[in-house]
Amino acid sequence: MMQNLRKDSVNPFGKLTFLVVDDFENFRLSMRQMLRSCGADKIELVAHGGPAIQYCTYNHVDVVLCDYNLGDGKNGQHVLEELRHKKLLKRSSLFLMVTAETSKEMVMGAREYQPDAYLTKPINRAMLDKRLGSLIRQRNALLPVTREIDRENYPEAITMCLQALPQQPRYKTWLMKTLGELYCQVGDLAHAQKIYDDVLNQRELSWARLGKCKILLANRSLDQAVDSLKALIEKHPDYMEAYDLLAEGLEQQGKALQAQKVLEKAAEHSPNALLRQKHLAEVAGANQDIDTATQAWRQTVSLGTHSIHDSAGHYLSLAQSLSDLSEGNLDEEGAEKANEAVNVLARMQKRFPDDENLDLRSRIIECRVHAGQGQNQEAERILQEITPRLEPITGFSAEVGVDFAKTLFRMNQATRARQLLSELAAYYEDQPDVLQKIESLMDEPVGFRQKLEARGLNRDGIRAFESGDLNAAVEAFQNALTIVPDHAALNLNLVQVMMKQHDEYPEPAILATCKRHLDTLKGLPEQHRQHRRYLALQRKLQGLMQ
Amino acid sequence: MTDPNIDFSMVLASAVHDMKNSLGMLLNSLDELRIEHEPALVGSNKFNMLQYEAERMHNDLVQLLGIYRLGENNLSAHIDEHYVPDFLAEHLARHTPLLEGLGIDYAIDAADINGFFDEDLLTGVLNNTINNAIRYTKSKILLTARQEDHELVIGVEDDGQGYPASMQHSGTPDFKSLDFKTGNTSLGLFFASSVAVLHQNGDRTGRIALHNGGTLGGGVFEIRLP
Repeated sequence: MMQNLRKDSVNPFGKLTFLVVDDFENFRLSMRQMLRSCGADKIELVAHGGPAIQYCTYNHVDVVLCDYNLGDGKNGQHVLEELRHKKLLKRSSLFLMVTAETSKEMVMGAREYQPDAYLTKPINRAMLDKRLGSLIRQRNALLPVTREIDRENYPEAITMCLQALPQQPRYKTWLMKTLGELYCQVGDLAHAQKIYDDVLNQRELSWARLGKCKILLANRSLDQAVDSLKALIEKHPDYMEAYDLLAEGLEQQGKALQAQKVLEKAAEHSPNALLRQKHLAEVAGANQDIDTATQAWRQTVSLGTHSIHDSAGHYLSLAQSLSDLSEGNLDEEGAEKANEAVNVLARMQKRFPDDENLDLRSRIIECRVHAGQGQNQEAERILQEITPRLEPITGFSAEVGVDFAKTLFRMNQATRARQLLSELAAYYEDQPDVLQKIESLMDEPVGFRQKLEARGLNRDGIRAFESGDLNAAVEAFQNALTIVPDHAALNLNLVQVMMKQHDEYPEPAILATCKRHLDTLKGLPEQHRQHRRYLALQRKLQGLMQ
Repeated sequence: MTDPNIDFSMVLASAVHDMKNSLGMLLNSLDELRIEHEPALVGSNKFNMLQYEAERMHNDLVQLLGIYRLGENNLSAHIDEHYVPDFLAEHLARHTPLLEGLGIDYAIDAADINGFFDEDLLTGVLNNTINNAIRYTKSKILLTARQEDHELVIGVEDDGQGYPASMQHSGTPDFKSLDFKTGNTSLGLFFASSVAVLHQNGDRTGRIALHNGGTLGGGVFEIRLP
C-alpha cells in the first residue's frame, strides 16, 4: 500500500487509462492536452454517449471524464447509469461528470447512481491536476474496498472499510457512506443503523439522516420515518431523494394522495428523473387521477428514449391510461387520446421488436380503445382475433389476464370476464398483489370517473353510518351500487346497514333486499379479502330469516 | 406590450444562467490562449485584465443565481465532510494562470483538517474572494484554514491597503446597504454572508468577518463555519 502510494506520487496519471466524452471537439482536444500535461498517456476521446458505452464494453477504463450535456442522444447521466448498471465500469474506476452547472441537484436530480465527483467548468490545467490528482489518490487509497465491491464480496468489503477507517481519516465520509450501503446490501439493518446514528451523533448530515430514514422504513417505523423525512425536506427543499423516500413512506402509511403530492413537487423541481416520473405515474394511477398519471407516463416514455431504464411496460401503461381517458369521450379530445394510445403501441412494437408478447398486449388495449370510441365493429373484429390466441389464459402473465378481463368488461361480456378473473384468482392465490388487481377489477369494472363517483358515495355512506343516520347511509350505498353493482365491500356495507335497520324496525322486505345483494356476490372467489365477511353476513342473514 | 404572466425574475435567472455558461466557455478559451501563446502573453496587462474581468463577471453571475435560488427558498447547504487543504489547493489552482500572469505570489497555510461545509457554496465564496484579493493586493495572497473554538475558519489574506473602516464588521450586510452609485455593490459580501448563514450546526450559525492585518498586513476575509 505505502509502496503504491509512493510510486503514484511520482506520476499518479501515468498508469491509468482515461476516456473523455464531450460533443465539442475543441473541448475534447483541450482536455487531452491538459491530461497529457498532467502526465496522462492513455487517453481516448469520443463525442457521444453511444460510442462511450461501446468503448467501455471492450476496454478497461480507469477514469471517465464525461460532459453532462452531450447534445442530442444520451446525456452524461444516461452514460453513467448505463455503465454502472451493466457493470461496464468498475466501482474502482472513477466517473467524473463535467458540467457548467453549480447547482447539480437541480439539474440532474438525485438518482440511483451518483458520479464520483463533479468537475465544474471552466476547467484549467492547474485545477485539473489538483482535483484529479486528489481523486486518484483517493481511488488508490480505497482500492482494497472497491476491489471487493467489484468482486461482489460484500462482507470482505465491509471488513476492508472497517480497517481503513482509522488509517484513512481523510476519507471518513466516503467510508461511512459506503459502510451504510454495504450493511444494507447484506441485509444487516442493525449495523447500518448504527453507522448512521454514529454520524448523526456527531453532526446532522443529510445523507446520514436519509440513510437512517431508509432503515426506519425497512423496519416499518413508518410514522417516525415520515416525520423525519418531512423535517429533512423542510431544511433541504432541494434534496430530491428525500422526496422519493417520503412518498414511499406515505404510501406504506396508506396515504396515497399525500404521496402523490410529494412526488408531483419533486417532479416539478427535477423533471428529468425517469424512475421518479414512473413512481408518480403509478401512484396517480392508483389514486384514479388518470390525467396526472397519463402525463407522468408520457414523461416516463419520453425519458426512456436514451435510458437504461426504458421498458415496454411504460408504453403499455401509457396506452392503458390514454384508453381510460378516451373511453366514452366521443368529441375531438377523446379521439385524440384514442389515436395517441394506438400510436404509442405502434411505437412500442417498433422499439421492442423482439418481444413476441407485445403484439397481443397491444391488441387487447386497442380493442378497448375502439370500443370506447364507439367503433364496435373494429373492436369486435379484434376480440375475435385475440380470443383464441389467449387460450389458456394461465399460459400468460397475470397482467395479460387481468387486462384481457378489463377488455371483456368493456365489450359487455361481464360473465366471461368474471369467469376469467375467478380462474386467475385461483391460479394466483399465493400472490397478494395479483389478487389485489383482480379484486379491484371485479369490484369496479368501470371507467375511472365512475369509480371515483362510486368511491365518493361509499365514503358518504360510511360517514352517515358512523353518525347514526342509517337512512342516508342506505341511500348513499345504493346509489354507489347503481354504478358498480358487483362491488363486494359496497354490497356488504349496504347489507350490514340494512340489518341494523332491521334490528330497529323489523320488516321482511329489508331482509329480502339483503338477500338479493348477497346473492349478487355468489361467485365471489374464496381468495377475495371480503370473502370471510361475506360468509359471516350470510350466516347472520340466514339466522334472521328463520 | 407587457404580458402580466411573465415571471420576470425567472426570465432573468434563465438569461443569467445562459450568460454564466457562455462566460465559462470564454474563460476556457482564455486559459487555452494563454498556454498556446505563453511567451507573447506573459505579462500582457490587457490579457490579464481580460481574464480578470471575465472571471469577475462569471463570479457575479454565479452569485446572482445563488441569491435568486435563495429568494425562491430553493438553496440549502448540503454539508459534507471535506479535506480542507485539498479543497483550498483545488480552488486556488483555478486562479493560478492569472496570478502568475500578474506576478502575484500565492500560498496556502492550512492545518491538516477535515471540515464540514457545502462544497459548491464555498466554491462560489472562495472564487469571488480570491478574485477580489487579486484586485486589491500588492504582491501576495494567502489562503488559510484552521480550527478555532469549534469553528472552521477559512481566510483569504492580501498585502493591499485593507478594507475601509466602514466595511470592517462581521454582521450580515443586507440588500438595503448595497450602494449601486459607488459601483461597490458588495454583492460578493452579501452572498458570502448568506452562504455562511446557511451553515448551521445545532444552534450555531456561520458568519463572515472582515478586518485588516493578518500575516500579510492587508485585508483579511474570514468565513467561520460551525
